[in-house]
Amino acid sequence: MVSNKKRLYWTLQIVGWLSYALLQIIVFSLEKEIPIRRVIFFIVEALICLGVTHFFRYFLNRFKWLGLSVPKMIPRVLVSITLLGFVIYFLRVPVSIVLKVVNVQRLAFDTTQILGFGFFYVFLLFLWSLFYFTYHYIERYNKSLKYEASMIEIELNNLKNQLNPHFIFNALNSIRALVDENPLKSKQAINQLSNILRNSLTFEKRGLTKFDDEMKIVKDYLGLESIRFEERLKTEIDIHPGSSSFMVPPFMIQTMVENGIKHGISKLTEGGIIQIKTLVSDNRLKVQIRNSGHLLNGARKTKTGGMGIRNTKHRLKLLYGEKASFKIVDENNNFVLTEIVIPQT
Amino acid sequence: MRALIVDDERLARKELMKLLEDHPGIEVVGEAMNADEAIQMTSDLNPDLLFLDIQMPGKTGFQLLEELDSVPIVVFTTAYDEFALKAFEVSALDYLLKPIQPERLSEAVTKIMDKERSKAIAARNPDKKLGLNDQVFVKDGDRCWFVSLANVRMFESDGNYIKVYFDTNRPMIHKSLNALDEKLDERSFFRASRKHIINLSWVEGIEQWFNGGLMVKLKGGDKVEVSRRQAAKFKDMMSL
Repeated sequence: MVSNKKRLYWTLQIVGWLSYALLQIIVFSLEKEIPIRRVIFFIVEALICLGVTHFFRYFLNRFKWLGLSVPKMIPRVLVSITLLGFVIYFLRVPVSIVLKVVNVQRLAFDTTQILGFGFFYVFLLFLWSLFYFTYHYIERYNKSLKYEASMIEIELNNLKNQLNPHFIFNALNSIRALVDENPLKSKQAINQLSNILRNSLTFEKRGLTKFDDEMKIVKDYLGLESIRFEERLKTEIDIHPGSSSFMVPPFMIQTMVENGIKHGISKLTEGGIIQIKTLVSDNRLKVQIRNSGHLLNGARKTKTGGMGIRNTKHRLKLLYGEKASFKIVDENNNFVLTEIVIPQT
Repeated sequence: MRALIVDDERLARKELMKLLEDHPGIEVVGEAMNADEAIQMTSDLNPDLLFLDIQMPGKTGFQLLEELDSVPIVVFTTAYDEFALKAFEVSALDYLLKPIQPERLSEAVTKIMDKERSKAIAARNPDKKLGLNDQVFVKDGDRCWFVSLANVRMFESDGNYIKVYFDTNRPMIHKSLNALDEKLDERSFFRASRKHIINLSWVEGIEQWFNGGLMVKLKGGDKVEVSRRQAAKFKDMMSL
């Protein structure tokens, strides 16, 4: 990607300035026969322009002018290209003298000569800048469009995942039965379910959520699943006290726990254990979710399972770049380990 | 009618039991927590009706049905299962969505009662051989059917599978023709050759064939060769 852009830059620079030289040569030779030193002069002139614009580009990147707002940037660019235009002129003066393309030496320092050629180069640099900045703005616009599109896609997928109908209807069914058996517990379950639903409806508006809030959702979720699975679901939660200072992507831990139940516990006749453990070190939060079951029995290779994992990876990458990590592995003692590492924000 | 409830969740079973209290025509004779238990209880209790959850640990509801020889009337119960719902749409099987609505259950029960009356429960074979009144469950990829054996023209062996011919469908089931032959009632089904079992009520015409064999023509146009060894037996059966 980077080398591609670099190659494109150099191709455009070389082709552009050589065409400029070629154009000069052709225009000159239309009038009269062109001496070889004239040809060399035009080529050297093009090379000077290439060098100066390359320096200008280095300068732009060094001081991050591309990141400035348009009203701040325009005057700066105008001033610099005016200066650089005259720099080009004075750089080409010794060349023209050596190559004897000016007949009289003092003509090179004539005011009209300086102003005329100087502004001509300023105009060339102006065209160059126009092209350079337009290209960058278009590219940045494309990038932001792409980013937006992928965010929307992820949001949609998450919404679909969060409002997992299988979970909701099973929970409602259990609660219905619980109304007769244990009215108090059924009321509690309704609260847990409404907390989850409310959060899943508003989460898209929030980029990150407090770790403690996420854990509340996870606990509500586990509470509801315990009603459904009863003694078949055992949970162990071991939270490092430092975890509270972290922000996490909403519903990410919940999704991983739900995956563990859906692909692990619910497939086991005898049920199993879900274990949530967090560790804090080097300003990083490590969340480990273990569930009874196996990864390699093909259960996780179904469409939805695969998508959940892909989504999580994608979300982490968009939010944290390379600073976050995700892995899911089979542990030898009949457990599947899902591990997310999130940096402090 | 005697019903068996199959669901891995205790509360789900309890809820259905409670709802069925309003339907005195249905007596719940057992509850199974998983497919293996259900298979055992089906053969012990011989229920007329199964309320069957699809997603269960171990085997799914569909796998359970595939393992049963004769399948009682089945009403599926599921919370939400995209794949199962697709199968239902394809085959118009009866299903209830959890949480179950009492009105929807009443509809299903009425439908079942009508079906059972027309079939007359008495016709079920006491010796457990599969006759024309029995139905089997067949699943082939995404599609599944409850097929009344009266509608099956013939079974054809194909490697480790059997092709089941009914209507315009020929789904495959994973079984050997010998095993199936032993379970079928010999008054209704005849082993024509190593490759075929035919439904006698579908026979339309019989012709002499080479080597003392016969060629049987079935309603609908399928032709099946009866091997020489079976031909004498077949003539015996078809004559008075």
